[in-house]
Amino acid sequence: MQVTHFPNRVTLIVLAALVLMPLVMHTTLATQVLIFATGTLSVTFLLGASGLLSFGQGLYFGAGAYACAILLSRYQFHPVTGMLLATAAGALLALVLGILIVRRRGVYFVMLTLAFAQMGYFAMLAFKDITGGENGLSGLPRSFSILGLPIATPVSFYLLAVCGFLVPFLLVQRILASPLGSVLIAIRENEGRSEALGYPTARYKLVALTFAGAVAGLAGALHAISLGFAPPSDIELEMSQRLLIMSIIGGVGSPAGALAGAAFYAIVSEILSEIWARWLGLIAVLLIGIVLYLPGGLCSLGQRLASGFARRSEHG
Amino acid sequence: MSTQLLLFQVLNGLGNGMIYFLLSVGLTLIFGLMRFVNFAHGAFYLAGAYVAYAIAVAFGSFWWALLAGPIAVALIALVIERQLLRHTYAMPHEAQILITFAVALLFQEIIILVFDPLAKSVPVPAALSGIVFLGPYVYPAYRLAVVGAAALVALALWIVVERTKFGAILRAGSENAEMVGLLGINLDRVFMAAFALGGALAGLAGVLAAPLRGVEPFMSTEALGIAFVVVVVGGLGTLAGALVGGIVIGLVQSIMSTLWPEGAQLMIYAAMALVLLVRPTGLFGRF
Repeated sequence: MQVTHFPNRVTLIVLAALVLMPLVMHTTLATQVLIFATGTLSVTFLLGASGLLSFGQGLYFGAGAYACAILLSRYQFHPVTGMLLATAAGALLALVLGILIVRRRGVYFVMLTLAFAQMGYFAMLAFKDITGGENGLSGLPRSFSILGLPIATPVSFYLLAVCGFLVPFLLVQRILASPLGSVLIAIRENEGRSEALGYPTARYKLVALTFAGAVAGLAGALHAISLGFAPPSDIELEMSQRLLIMSIIGGVGSPAGALAGAAFYAIVSEILSEIWARWLGLIAVLLIGIVLYLPGGLCSLGQRLASGFARRSEHG
Repeated sequence: MSTQLLLFQVLNGLGNGMIYFLLSVGLTLIFGLMRFVNFAHGAFYLAGAYVAYAIAVAFGSFWWALLAGPIAVALIALVIERQLLRHTYAMPHEAQILITFAVALLFQEIIILVFDPLAKSVPVPAALSGIVFLGPYVYPAYRLAVVGAAALVALALWIVVERTKFGAILRAGSENAEMVGLLGINLDRVFMAAFALGGALAGLAGVLAAPLRGVEPFMSTEALGIAFVVVVVGGLGTLAGALVGGIVIGLVQSIMSTLWPEGAQLMIYAAMALVLLVRPTGLFGRF
């Protein structure tokens, strides 16, 4: 994942996709795609930019959803304030856990992200007075207004989700084009050498983890607001797995992969689940196929096509 | 807490801990040898438990499951290793993790397809369904038998690893696999055998656990989480680490389940976080 210019062609393509999406699919589905794309972006950014494979981003997604739901339903916070605080909660949790695990490398790191994601789920169950346990947390406002604009219709929720996706997406693109992005990519390529060059790699990775936690927290808050409640499935390990699958299918070579993966997963599951209840098995087979034969995911397919066209037009 | 209750919880914890040991030891052996973390390891446990369930339904026998479970899972592990995982050894570990994770997902879906998504119970074998008297206290015979059986397996495993040629190759391989290969030992075969052994042990853990906690298709995720906690606490790559880690986690869970039932599962992860903070490589870790 390397971006030399910002904004670039990918920015344009993504903007066009955001305009087209509600035209080609149900608006509510498009909103869900964007919310999951935001969550997936945190996985894509971690793996693509800094080489950190997280099996537990669902933890921050769930923490964001629950933080937002608690603030809105118990303390009557405004949804925007709730979203911002949920983003901060995701960042803070990722920072604290990050300090614990950032020095563990390779498979150890991955195992720990999974274990801590499980811990989040059991914490939700253990403190059921606060979280509602297996019932989830309901009672979020179904309509509210932001700067005088009413947010109640599916289209208005979609536009809110567009903002929720676009802000972190543009930030990721900006970070990748910055010196910080270069250092993260250097760490991904060769951590030992980056350290030898004098970069405090653990601190850089901690920044990446915290940022990714914030993005996932924001996505979780948006999910809770769009549903009107925080379901326990938001913090289950399955959420982490889903975000990871979306990110790998879309490809981690570009932040746009998050959108591609989330859209593909949502559309495929929508179609397949009507035909066959065990469609997740097919997704598993697809995942193996992608890792073995298309490591760059769907996004790299797009890039391959684009470079193919460019070559053809040069020759023709 | 009364003495009876405390004894009960300690023995329960020991029993669960021994099952956790069997569950994690394959993970740690395979990692030590190949630096390969198998995210499908929980699925081996799941497969063992479902073999126990299927045999209990079909024949009403637990003893055959005890034999067939580990063998069936070892065969499944062998096929997966030969057909798929072998081709990923040269890949980055992210690819290995993603592929084994997808295999676990596929296992879960196949189990739901063959059986159904509902939880089921597996009866305790008739010969062990009673209670035993430990001095003035009583305890379920099956749970005691699990502790004994797992202890025997642990002993056998220790003998294999420390006293046989295969064990010597395993230990040498976990120090420096390439060098072992250069000495003329067919590493490919060793990897295969280690995978089958790890699978068999996870399958055995599944069979032993089935009468205690029943079976359900989503139990592999929880098992994988627990196996990771055990190896993080004990240290990855050592037999002793898996044993001590398993027992510590079993005891923490069992004792916490009387003090704070809702938080028992949470506390084992908290224990892991604590170990990580104090001893990042785990109690016996080398990596």
